[in-house]
Amino acid sequence: MQLFIGGAGAGKHAAVSERFPTARWHRLTPGDALDAWNESLADGMILVVTGWTAWLEAALAVERDDDRLRGRLVAALETLAVVESEAGSPVVLILPEMGRGIVPMEPELRRLRDLVGWLAQDAAARAEAVWYVRHGLIKALK
Amino acid sequence: MIAFVSGGARSGKSEVAERLARECRQAGGGTLYYLATATASDAEMAARIARHRRDRGAEWHTREAPLALGSALDGIDPGSSVLLDCLTLWASRARFEAGFDSATGTAQFEALLVATRARSLDLVVVSNDLNEAVLPGDLATRGYVAFLQCLHRQLAREADRVVEVVAGIAIDWKSPSA
Repeated sequence: MQLFIGGAGAGKHAAVSERFPTARWHRLTPGDALDAWNESLADGMILVVTGWTAWLEAALAVERDDDRLRGRLVAALETLAVVESEAGSPVVLILPEMGRGIVPMEPELRRLRDLVGWLAQDAAARAEAVWYVRHGLIKALK
Repeated sequence: MIAFVSGGARSGKSEVAERLARECRQAGGGTLYYLATATASDAEMAARIARHRRDRGAEWHTREAPLALGSALDGIDPGSSVLLDCLTLWASRARFEAGFDSATGTAQFEALLVATRARSLDLVVVSNDLNEAVLPGDLATRGYVAFLQCLHRQLAREADRVVEVVAGIAIDWKSPSA
């Protein structure tokens, strides 16, 4: 598993498109099951998963318990790792960085930014490579 | 040389950028120019501008950065160093006062980069990293961040040197030697 992380407009999508021109893209649909990415899987094809912010915004409105939501995300990451090794489909995750500003006034935005941060940590711990995208430039973090 | 220096509020970006501009100038022996983007809209802003001016010292020649950035360097002698501080403020005037879209903004900015090279100047651009936070939901702010990020990616692509500043420490993202 590989991770591309960066802020809004940092150039993450361009960076991933450039490196994996033949990859299949799966944008998470808010409200759908996480493993809907199974539909986009094909043997040997690289799978890019994006759309985490919108998915999480919808999910945290339904699931009030942050630990449980984080647990579901970790389980999904572990499933992805299995899929990756079994199907031989390398997985690339595009994740947002949104943890560096002022603490938001709205509780839901505070939850969102916590969950996005945990997701990045949990994904990075399981990824073989982590890339930080900043103003269109890229640095290897792992 | 064109350099891009950015970081958070009070991270020390201006000091790092001034040092870079000075180092370029020492090699060439030209004049130091400061392209100011801030206007004294209130007392706090006026004090902030005065503090920056005092910190820079008297050797800097201050000019206002115009919205038409291509003309910003008119009359500046080759070998001089120019510091634009900061792009965030220029972008907010360009977006909210002049109503520039991304294409107009990047074209104006491109004109500055082209003029820098054509006049054999060194240019150091300072900006704020604003895009790694939870963004306000309103379209105006989101549009502004997207506009600013177009300029940041353009500058990072074309600059010889890109530096991130954290707590006064310069982290190289792109350097001529690399």
